[in-house]
Amino acid sequence: MEHWSFVALAYGIVWSVLVVYLFSLKSRCKKAQIELSALTSAQASNEHDQT
Amino acid sequence: MALISIAIGLYWGLVIAPPDAYQGEVQRIMYLHLPSILAAYLSYFLVFIGSCMYLWKRERRDDILAHSAAEVGVLFTALTIIEGSIWGRPTWGVWWTWDARLTLTAILLLIYTGYLMLRSLIEDEDRAASVAAVLGVIGFLDIPLIHMSVYWWRTLHQPPSILQPNKAPWENIAWPLLIPLLINIAAFLLLLFYLLSLRYRLGEMRDQIRTRRLEQSV
Amino acid sequence: MEFVKQTLLLLWKDLLLELRRRDSLLTMFFFGTLLLFVFHFSFDLPPDRVAEMTPALLWLAFLFTGTLGLTQLFQVERENHCLEALLLSPLDRGALFLAKSCFNLLLMFLVEAVVMPLFWILFNLQGWNLLPQLFLVTLLGTVGFCVLGTIMSAITLRARARELLLPLVLFPLMIPVILATIRCMETIMSAGELGAAWSWLRLLLGFDIIFVTVGILMFDRVIES
Repeated sequence: MEHWSFVALAYGIVWSVLVVYLFSLKSRCKKAQIELSALTSAQASNEHDQT
Repeated sequence: MALISIAIGLYWGLVIAPPDAYQGEVQRIMYLHLPSILAAYLSYFLVFIGSCMYLWKRERRDDILAHSAAEVGVLFTALTIIEGSIWGRPTWGVWWTWDARLTLTAILLLIYTGYLMLRSLIEDEDRAASVAAVLGVIGFLDIPLIHMSVYWWRTLHQPPSILQPNKAPWENIAWPLLIPLLINIAAFLLLLFYLLSLRYRLGEMRDQIRTRRLEQSV
Repeated sequence: MEFVKQTLLLLWKDLLLELRRRDSLLTMFFFGTLLLFVFHFSFDLPPDRVAEMTPALLWLAFLFTGTLGLTQLFQVERENHCLEALLLSPLDRGALFLAKSCFNLLLMFLVEAVVMPLFWILFNLQGWNLLPQLFLVTLLGTVGFCVLGTIMSAITLRARARELLLPLVLFPLMIPVILATIRCMETIMSAGELGAAWSWLRLLLGFDIIFVTVGILMFDRVIES
């Protein structure tokens, strides 16, 4: 049943790609979150200084 | 919450699949292949809806939806092609064949990769959103035409040869195979929505970052 | 009708400019001819095989030549900031779209009118009587190309790597036109008349009509700054 290797290959590739994508999404989200909070706090402190 | 759905989807898919009877091990790949292409089609439909809505209402969230759906759609399409190719090797003896379905899938990949490239190569976000939306609509409208032309081409000019493309699985599928198929479809759809929602959130954050940067520079 | 008048006006403007400078037309013409030469050296075909390959080779030549024309399509407006001026005026964007498409169509029509007979001569083909039919089919395909191409040309206007991006987004969408036109031409060349390929022709017509309509409706979204 050498065909099993093909099945394994297919499943393997699919799931690893999905996992990689998932992690890439999560890390991009995290970076965006950090940047966003930095910007928000910078803006908040600016407004505080101005008032 | 979404993580749970993935876990369930994964588990069910893999557990149910092994004990089933099948004609040739390789048939199993269908449990990946069909759900992948369905996920891709759904994504592209969402790109179309998002693009239409953005052209109509100009709300950022529609554009973010379109962009996210395109990215996820390309992912699933690429997976579909890889799966199709791997399935083809033991079944037909070749890694690639220009049969209608594979060709169509490849064309879809080209169209939406073009969409993503267009977006990344245009500096101005608003312009990128507008033109990408037009491309999103045009691309989707073209798909039935492409579908027709490729099918005609392949059926009128290539008589069925030894390499028979597999019939659509839903035509003659045996009952025991149907259940894991449906489960896997459900699993993939859940996965799709999870990835989509994550990507959407990323899009939203990026949009907010951009807005705040603009505010700050004023 | 106001719309038609605007379209003709814009078209006339482009034609006048082109008549004076003739950049696009000459470049396209020479490029198309050059491709014929390149094909001849690349495909060392025996005379009996050439007829089979003719529609495909011709269309490849026209595709690449046409893409050249498309990248030039809005060049004139870009150079002198005329585009902003055009957009500020109350001109119907759909008219702009039609005018640009027709302009490109005319250019390609002229190029094809010369390149096709040239192909017949260079490759020693028979069947000169089939040329009018073939030309008609080519023209229908070219309409589809120009219409979709104008939209894509405008879409990629401000993108980086524009010359590469334009074919990248255009060609996959052109596949129905390519298939339909080449199949029609093959049928004409082998059977002497359209007959069996009629459904392909309908597909081509449908494509043209759909995307002309889409273009007119959506062009204002595409062209805004």
